[in-house]
Amino acid sequence: MKRLLYSVFLLSGFLFLNQSCYERQDFSQFDDLSVTPTLASGLFYFESDEATINSTGALGSFYTDEVNFDAFNQEYVAERLLEGIITYEIENTTSKQLEIIIEFLDDAGRPLDTEIFTVEADPSEIVVRDVPYGPAGKSIDILASTSSLRVSANNLGDGVSVSSVEDPKIILRSGAQFVFRLK
Amino acid sequence: MKIAPKLLLIALFFGTSVFAQNKELLYDFNEIPQSLMVNPGVKTSQKWHVGVPFVSGLAFQGATSGVTVNDLFADDGVDFTTKVQERLLNVMANKDDFSTTSQIEGITVGFRGKNRPDDYYSFGIYGETDIISYWPKDLAILAFEGNGGANLGRNFDLGDLNLRGEMINVFHFGINRKVSNTLTLGARAKLYSSVFQFQSIKNSGSFVTSEGQNNVYETTINADMQLQTAGVREIYDIIEEDTGTTQKDLTSVFTERVLLGGNLGFGLDFGFSYNLNPQTTITGSILDLGFINNSKDVWNYTFSGSTTTDGISVFLPEDIDNVNNDLWQELIDEIDAALPHGENDSSYISWRPVKVYGSVKYDFGQGGGAVLDNCGCAVNGGGGRSALDYYRNSVGGQLFMIKRPRGVQAALTGFYQRRFGRVISLKGTYTVDKYSLTNIGLGANFQLGPVNFYVLADNLLSYSNLADSHYASLQFGFNIISWNGN
Repeated sequence: MKRLLYSVFLLSGFLFLNQSCYERQDFSQFDDLSVTPTLASGLFYFESDEATINSTGALGSFYTDEVNFDAFNQEYVAERLLEGIITYEIENTTSKQLEIIIEFLDDAGRPLDTEIFTVEADPSEIVVRDVPYGPAGKSIDILASTSSLRVSANNLGDGVSVSSVEDPKIILRSGAQFVFRLK
Repeated sequence: MKIAPKLLLIALFFGTSVFAQNKELLYDFNEIPQSLMVNPGVKTSQKWHVGVPFVSGLAFQGATSGVTVNDLFADDGVDFTTKVQERLLNVMANKDDFSTTSQIEGITVGFRGKNRPDDYYSFGIYGETDIISYWPKDLAILAFEGNGGANLGRNFDLGDLNLRGEMINVFHFGINRKVSNTLTLGARAKLYSSVFQFQSIKNSGSFVTSEGQNNVYETTINADMQLQTAGVREIYDIIEEDTGTTQKDLTSVFTERVLLGGNLGFGLDFGFSYNLNPQTTITGSILDLGFINNSKDVWNYTFSGSTTTDGISVFLPEDIDNVNNDLWQELIDEIDAALPHGENDSSYISWRPVKVYGSVKYDFGQGGGAVLDNCGCAVNGGGGRSALDYYRNSVGGQLFMIKRPRGVQAALTGFYQRRFGRVISLKGTYTVDKYSLTNIGLGANFQLGPVNFYVLADNLLSYSNLADSHYASLQFGFNIISWNGN
């Protein structure tokens, strides 16, 4: 009998030890989780040598093309796009003033926005332009509705001169960093 | 909040609130028949034992070496996103893991050989679920912060994705033999019947976005990744179809697979106990030296290749006549082609997580006659002053190691065991491992006549707030044990 009582006592003590506690947890906090990564990517790279520019003569367009660009108007992306910056860098080592025009077009081919860059002949500094979109910049709807880009490059100078630098070119670089709301 | 993510979270954090597989309280607790399952060479004393079906051995373990449930979900007024950033992303490393193991013993029977009383045979069936997922640190940061901003130039390691899980039913038969008064050896053969298995453990590769050589940014990805699954597709299809007979269909599949209708495997356990002197014993065991051949219902996903992209590119004069306006789609197609991904049904071998135990034990405080005097089996009982005499106390140390996808995990345990006659035996442990430095456990075995009940619980200090625990473990069960012919 004594052993049995002893057993019961120990068992009770053990079970008491195992009475666990639990601080209040609030799992609905998960609803408040905000996941907004910043995604970076190169967008469009354009390069032309001076001979190609000269081949179209003075004051002429040496390149124009409309390219499909669905990076932002996919439904999943467009709905989650919050803000961002497109960075353009233009380097001109040719002997003439040049102009590059980038038009953002919607599905019907209508221009939604236009960026125009005029760059001086060599020697000139690299033109860098950051174009913000979202609350602190242009409407984000421009990008969400953009279906294609029309890129035009015009020669604003003569059609014969040749720069003295080695391998003269016009180069357009562009890249974007955008914030998306994944949750 | 939708129910699915809530359930996922609860499963993730609660399911993982028990350590992977270490049963330091049960190990060498030879009053409990289930100690044979962690060392087939443990000293046995009983004539026979039978576990009460489905409640003879229940073990639930879970662990997280990093964030706890409380860290994230405590009702502390701190912004949840801030908590995720500061307590999860900034703190956890790719060696941190969430793991869970549970075992349910269906049948267990043991008996001493009639013609060879030195042999104790045992067999049974138990189900086991074992899942481990390492924290995919770089992938989590990529998803949460992105590749831009401060992460430009950061090399995200795709090999951080590392997980493995399985549910199996195990049919086993073991022999425990007293070779001499000082040495007991044991071995157990296991037939694994897999319900499902998945693993993604050999991933490598990187993802990096940096300033480009041509364009403003360029992104390079090298990937060699694979997710292997077996037994998952059929379950997925049943749930996906949702025909109204989902539960019945799942039950049917589950029943078939636990009864050897799924993928099969084979494994072995070995163990020993050796008395260095009448009061000092060393033991060791190696468990689950085995594999499963996954050839049925295999569904693998692969993703491999490498590419660098900096966006759409136009070079003049080369592209002067190229008025193709699908450059964007071509770019997407190029990336797709460079990073082929697809499915296959190639069979594969999955290795069981091998476990190794070792211990040294010193007995003292002799309490009189041998505890096994009534054994009736003439094995391990009686015999005067031998190592088999009944000592009230034992103290010692144990080592546990388990092979995990990222290497061997070890745990070191110090223990003290106290016996109160044949009725009660208590064991206290202190264990250090990657999950906890304050793991104090307590186990109790009660023998009331032929009825045996045991309960073993780890990390008792964490019970004041289980949600803040990195590790929790609970095992208990009922058996009927006989030392005589009753």
